[in-house]
Amino acid sequence: MRLPDRLAIGDLLGTATIVALGLFALFLLVAPSVIVLIISFDTRAFVSFPPQGFTFDWYLRVFEQRVLVEAMLNSLQVGITVTLLCIILGVPTALVCVRGQFRGTTALSIFVLIPHMVPGIVLGVAVLFAAAAIGVSPSIGLQSISITVFVLAVMVRTLMSRLQRMDPALEEAAANLGASPFQTLRTVTFPLLMPAILAGAVFTFIEGFDNISVAIFTHGFRDRPLPVELLALVQTTNTPLVAAVSGVQIVLAIVALILVASSIGLDGVND
Amino acid sequence: MTLARDLSLASAADAAQVLRIDKVSKRFGTFTVLDDCSIDVSEGEIVTLLGSSGCGKTTLLRCIAGFLTPEKGAILIDGRNTIPVPVNRRPVGVVFQSYALFPHLTVEGNVAYGLKMHGVPRREIARRVADALASVSLRGFETRYPSQLSGGQQQRVAIARVLVLEPRVLLLDEPFNALDAKLRGTMQVELRELIKRLGMTAIFVTHDQEEALTLSDRIAVMRGGRIEQVAPPDEIFDRPATAYVADFIGLSNFIPAEVRDGKVTLPDGQTLATEAQGPVRVMIRPHNLRAIPQGPGPWQGQVRFQRNVGPLIEYTITAGQSDMHVVALRRDRIRPWGEGDAVSLEVIDPEFCKVYPEA
Repeated sequence: MRLPDRLAIGDLLGTATIVALGLFALFLLVAPSVIVLIISFDTRAFVSFPPQGFTFDWYLRVFEQRVLVEAMLNSLQVGITVTLLCIILGVPTALVCVRGQFRGTTALSIFVLIPHMVPGIVLGVAVLFAAAAIGVSPSIGLQSISITVFVLAVMVRTLMSRLQRMDPALEEAAANLGASPFQTLRTVTFPLLMPAILAGAVFTFIEGFDNISVAIFTHGFRDRPLPVELLALVQTTNTPLVAAVSGVQIVLAIVALILVASSIGLDGVND
Repeated sequence: MTLARDLSLASAADAAQVLRIDKVSKRFGTFTVLDDCSIDVSEGEIVTLLGSSGCGKTTLLRCIAGFLTPEKGAILIDGRNTIPVPVNRRPVGVVFQSYALFPHLTVEGNVAYGLKMHGVPRREIARRVADALASVSLRGFETRYPSQLSGGQQQRVAIARVLVLEPRVLLLDEPFNALDAKLRGTMQVELRELIKRLGMTAIFVTHDQEEALTLSDRIAVMRGGRIEQVAPPDEIFDRPATAYVADFIGLSNFIPAEVRDGKVTLPDGQTLATEAQGPVRVMIRPHNLRAIPQGPGPWQGQVRFQRNVGPLIEYTITAGQSDMHVVALRRDRIRPWGEGDAVSLEVIDPEFCKVYPEA
């Protein structure tokens, strides 16, 4: 079948526009990270683009500076704590919100979302004041808990969308075949929820590691997390060292995403 | 002597009865979904709960399985009330509409699941899983995942998964819905044969009357939470207890009439004895009507529409105010009526008509 020429041209223009827009969006998403990575290999001692020369020196220096390494370890600790807390709190919350047979499940699922809707700074300040009022001083623990409150919604939403798409007959079948409620949870619900738990874990870990808006108010005085340390560094120096620290974070995020995507597939991450 | 024989007869009848649904009622909020439902099911019998959506058939099935608890009545299996028995301890096996196969387990894992939950020793599990898969002709599929199976194969895994536990009652919730129309017919016959070969007692839920007529020993027609009639397929079709059943199963013609002296006069002049009184509706099946060349008979009509359905010819014949459905067998030597032809109608066998009180 032959299509009129005008339509073919219109089609071509439309496709070209969509491709161009797509490429532009991709550029906006990727460019900052790429530029930071490029700068981090610059041989000059000040941040400038385009770079001249190529060196790994800045990365070696990152790991030579005790403050930065400690900040990294602090952030790692926060990231892991936040992830574990989100799993421990998120799984039961999502189960109740989706499978709960009582009034108020919708209210609960919205309630969990609220902290995520509040700007991080507001949450951070609120936690700081509240903690001071009950005599708790900022620490890695406080920072972990407040970031958990902040990102729990991500975990719960991820799990909820998976649960909502899970055939409720699967759990009924397990019960019908003799499984107790706990056995059903262990042998059917959990295994089927696992991809969503992993996907949620990646996002909550990255948030725990990366968050600054909440962390800046709640981190321990001596236990600065990496983003806070980085902010301090930007204010005092102008070397590609800052870019190298960012580079480490970018690589970490990419590795985490690849690990999860390869184990559960990108569809799991999309949940 | 007589008493003793009566008692032994009674106990024999009890032994044969596997499932007894006794005056079960269930509400959702203020809405009554099941209203005083009673059915007795004997050993090895296949009973279908048939009705349109919202009639309560699935709710009744879910009550038997234990997913729902009725407010009133009892559900007895082998004479024991199961209402207080938790879902995972009931001797019933459910084949779900979606089959609900565990996607993360292989065929073997799915079939072994129930045995594991019941703490059956490993060696026995292997043997029983192999037997169950053999009985549904799925040997060689052990390591496949459900997503790698066709719809028909998935259905057989779902059946093997419950059969392996040797339940007293098999519950099947619209098991052919997920299959394409072509496969359904053969699968229905195969499933009936399989259940009969295993001597299982089964309850089917369906909205498809053909499926019910194919599969069942008895059909329970449900409407608005009540059971209208429980009877073998022939009886349901030939002697529907209510006008609703007559209308629901197969095509029917309803004609308003008046009872005089215990008799109803059909439009073609024949009469039919009845116990009903006052204004009634007479049900005439389309294959109990004949269109003949227009003669002096009192029932005259005109063919409005005709179509060939394989060996049958279906006519819609306008007679007076109403359209009558007529079905005739297709024969070589008889030229079918064409649209617009004037004909006379007559009832082939008045005894085969049913009289219902005017609703």
